[in-house]
This record gives sequence, C-alpha cells and structure tokens, in this order.
Amino acid sequence: MEKVSIIGSGNVGVAAAFYLAEKGVANIMLIDIIEGKAEGSALDLSEASPLRGYDIKIRGSSHIESIKDSKVVVITVGKVRKPNTLRLELLEDNVKIIDPIIEDIKNYAPNSIVVVLTEPVTSLTYYTLKKTGFDRTKVIGVAGKLDVTRVCECTAQELGVSPVEVSALVLGGHHKFMVIPPEFIRVCGIPITELLPKGKIDKIISEAREAGTTILSLLKKQTSMYSPGAAIAETITAIINDTRAIFCLPTYLDGEYGFKNICLGVPVQLGKNGVEKIIELELSLPIREELQASADVINKTIESLGI
Amino acid sequence: MKVSIIGSGNVGVATALFLVEKRVSNVVLIDIVEGWAEGKSLDIVQASPIRRYDVSVSGYSDISMIKDSNVVVVTAGKPRLPGMSREDLLRDNVKIMKSVSESIAEYAPNAVLITVTNPLDILAYVALKVTGFALKRVIGMAGILDSSRFRYFIADELGVSPGNVTALVLGGHGDLMVPLPRYSTVHGIPVSELLPRATIDKLIERTRKAGGEIVSYLKTGSAYWSPGSSAAEMVECIIRNRNRIIPCSAYLRGEYGIDGLFAGVPIVIGRNGVEKIIELSLTTEEKQALHLSADKVREVIEKIESENMI
Repeated sequence: MEKVSIIGSGNVGVAAAFYLAEKGVANIMLIDIIEGKAEGSALDLSEASPLRGYDIKIRGSSHIESIKDSKVVVITVGKVRKPNTLRLELLEDNVKIIDPIIEDIKNYAPNSIVVVLTEPVTSLTYYTLKKTGFDRTKVIGVAGKLDVTRVCECTAQELGVSPVEVSALVLGGHHKFMVIPPEFIRVCGIPITELLPKGKIDKIISEAREAGTTILSLLKKQTSMYSPGAAIAETITAIINDTRAIFCLPTYLDGEYGFKNICLGVPVQLGKNGVEKIIELELSLPIREELQASADVINKTIESLGI
Repeated sequence: MKVSIIGSGNVGVATALFLVEKRVSNVVLIDIVEGWAEGKSLDIVQASPIRRYDVSVSGYSDISMIKDSNVVVVTAGKPRLPGMSREDLLRDNVKIMKSVSESIAEYAPNAVLITVTNPLDILAYVALKVTGFALKRVIGMAGILDSSRFRYFIADELGVSPGNVTALVLGGHGDLMVPLPRYSTVHGIPVSELLPRATIDKLIERTRKAGGEIVSYLKTGSAYWSPGSSAAEMVECIIRNRNRIIPCSAYLRGEYGIDGLFAGVPIVIGRNGVEKIIELSLTTEEKQALHLSADKVREVIEKIESENMI
C-alpha cells in the first residue's frame, strides 16, 4: 500500500483523508504543526474504520519527517480567505508558510509527487515547482478539479439531472480568473448549448465561479472543505491507481497552448508518474483571449515572487 | 424496495449481483426451471458475509413471488441455438414475453418494467401492449450497453480511464445501432479532437459487433457482465430516483419523427421510469440511420400484430 502525506490537518486536509480512507486508496499520514491535532484526527478516522470497513492505516504526526517515503505529498497549509478578500492577497503570507515545508519535502520525500492546495494555488504551484526543483510532471495544483466539479453541480441543478452525468473543463486560474468554455460543458456527452439557452449557461458559469465565495459568505468563519477534500482525494486516487483519468489542474507549461514558464490550469492525464500527458485542445478565439488574460494575472503574481 | 428479475440465466444473475453489491434493493430471482433461481440466490447470499451486503436475495419458480415489486427486469427468453431461424426465435420469445407480461400486470401492476430479452425493441413493445402499463413505465435495455461498449473501446484506444468517457448510441440494438461520435467525449472533450476519423470508425464498427465478438470467443455463451451491469444501472436510477441521462429504448410518440415504436434515444431515467425523452438535433444522415433502424422494427411489429401473436 502506497503512502500519502497530507500536510495541514485542517478541515480540507482531514476531509481529503476521509475520502481516501473510504475508498481505501492509500495509507495516510496527516501532519500538523500543532501538536496533537493531526494525531487526534487520525485516531478519530481510524476508530470509524470498523463501521465503515476500511483497513488502511491512518496516522498523525506533528513531525514533518514523518512524510518520509510518501508517494504523494499534499500541501493544504496556509491562511485562508476571509469574506470579501481575494485569494491573491494571501500570497505573501502563504509563501512564508510553505517555504520551510518545500525544503522538508525535498529532504524527506524527494521522489514524491506534490499536490498544492494553498492559495493562490496556481501561483504557488509554480513557486513549489521552482523551489523543489522537481520535474514538472511531479508538481500540480488542485484548483481545476474543484472548479470543474462546481460547474457540473450547478449544471445538474439547473437541468434537474444527476451530477455524475455532467463533465466540464475549467482552464487558466482559479476564482475570478478561471476560464470556463461553454462548448465543453456536456451532459452525457450532449453539449449544454443544445439543452439550455445562453442566459442560463452564463448564470451557471458565474455561479460556479463564485461557488467558493458563496460558501465562505455563508459559513463566515470557514471555507468549503468537502468539495476541495473530494477533489484532492480524486487527484490522489488517479495517481496511486494509475488511472490516467483527465483532470483540469494547474500544471507547468512549456510551450503548450502557446505559454511558457508558467503554471496554468489545463486538462492533463494523471497517472503513477504524475502528469502523464498535457492535452492540447483547439480553443475558440474568445476563450483563447480569456486564457491569455488569466495568464497575464498569474504572470504578474509570479514576477512578484522574485524567483 | 423490491426488484424482481424474471429469468435467472447469466444476465439475470449478473444483474442481481451488481444490485446487491451496491445495496440497491432486495432482489427476487425468478426462473421457470424449478430450483434454478433458488440455487442461484443461495449462492449469492452466501457471499454476503464476505462482500458485506445485507439486502435479501431469494429465488422462486413461482412468478407470483414478484408481488408488489418496484421494478421488474425481464431477461427471460430463449437464446438462438444452432439451426434455429430468427423467425422461430422471435415466435418463441414473443410467447415468453407475453406470458411474463401478463403475470407482471397481475402481480406487480405498479412496477417499472425493464426488458432485456432480444429482439429488444420488439419485445419491449410486446411488454408494453400486454401489460397496458403507462408508456413511461416500460423501458428497454440497449443503448446503455452499446454506449458502455463504445466508451470502453474509446478509453482503451486512448489509454484513459473508462469513467472519463461518455458516448451516445441510439437506434435499435443490433447491426443498425446509431453511434453518435460527435456526442462522445472524454471529460467533455469531443472524441473527434482526440482520435482520427478512421480510428473512430473502426471503434464504431467494433461496437456494432461487440456482442458477436464475445460470442465468437465464448462459443457456447454470450456476454452477461456488461448487460447485467447495464440493467442494474437502470434499476438503480429508478430505485434511487437518480434522473440520469441514459440512452434506452423508449416508446416514442412523434419524438425524432418516430411514432408508436420503441427506439433507442437518450432519456432521463428516474423514479417513474422514463422521466423525459431528450430530443437532440440530429443531422440528416443520423436521422436517416435512426429511421432505417426503426423501419426494421416496424416491419416485425406489423408481422406480429397481423399474425395475432399478441
């Protein structure tokens, strides 16, 4: 059984561990800087195992060296947004928080695949890649998978059909900077443009764009945890089980889609080596322009990182 | 909830197994051969401590045991044996479907009925006429299986996860099925962007003959895992009111320009059976293919009716 380490045992980290346990994907090491926090959650999850019938090992530790020999390391630590703030505003604080963690990953899990969730996720995926010096196939972000699932859910709600039937692609950045091409939203393969008028589709896209913010404004003191946790678990499952499933994820581009030296959300195939393949699609002109605008914002952020 | 499966051959038993593995409902297996359904159901329940399902599975040769089922699946029918003409097979299976449908109307008058027996689109019609059920409560299992096969072949060709692939195969279940590659996607990406036309054509051809390909390997049997999983998926959509869009054989009244026949089209399948028929804008060529397939079904139906087989 492979080992997955989740650094940061907040709500999202624990939700990811829960989904991984339910599916029996891998042994899990939860890490948190606060002593006892990861250990407590690990025990809680383990004690549900007789009821839920999983038998993977779930452990917790406040010592980061416990990530040793992990196949996948997830970084969920960092400050989260408060209502009415942008993810980009977290950049400076969160760089400081993940800097030492990146060093630890290099030291203790040099062969791992790193999954970044810390906001602003697209820029910090780039930062992590550069700082670890890992191969570009080994460092990915989680944004797109989560945004896709929100588009699917909003679409299913609008149509009154099952969400498992809906697929979508989300490109570029996260939140305000995500690019959602309507022609790739499909229900059982049927383009949504055949099922709904343009006004309804626009509504779905704007709802999906604001989905995280909507939850934050309802919960006030907490951000969403289940959908990000599920997105992490799905991402890890694809890697561990070498499923080669397609995900939209921030990944490093070297000429694909005409971009270089940037991390940007694009469809990729995930497998045991991380990013097995970047899928290049023909995009319409307006979507290409939107993607460029999204890339411009991310490039600016990356420049401010000074690496 | 109670689901009855009439006909406990390989397809019926595989359907039961998929249902209990997902704990969809209690299952009753029926078979005309005394002891057969009883034996199969005992075999399945004796795996339950290992597989951890706790729905009940029971088997009977007495068809009245389907009483008050929420869903009834009919897999009963004769397979085509060497030396037997399609004509003979049709006659036998119409007779079987007629008698089974009479029992369903008597003992499970509120059930949603899923027919699996071939010739699919014709026997679904027989079941609808004999039971007198509302149109939305009789559905034929075909498109979901053909689509599943097409999806698998696409996934296999691309080396991607089969769960990522969607496909729509319309029309009749057989050589005249109508695969719609422009609605086939990998994670929403049209398959035409990922594979050259010639490869897609090759996969379509393989899909058309997929059932036969398996028969040619097995020699004395035919596919049952993929048909069983297809039927079980439909049952689950009904029992759990999932409202999924699945290509199934549904009775059309003018949709797609077809009237008074069963044909494979995308439907929303939920608690009441066919919740909605989704009409796609087909190209002239696709429409022609669909109509050609419907015309063949109509010919047989007319024959059945003119000879008073039902």
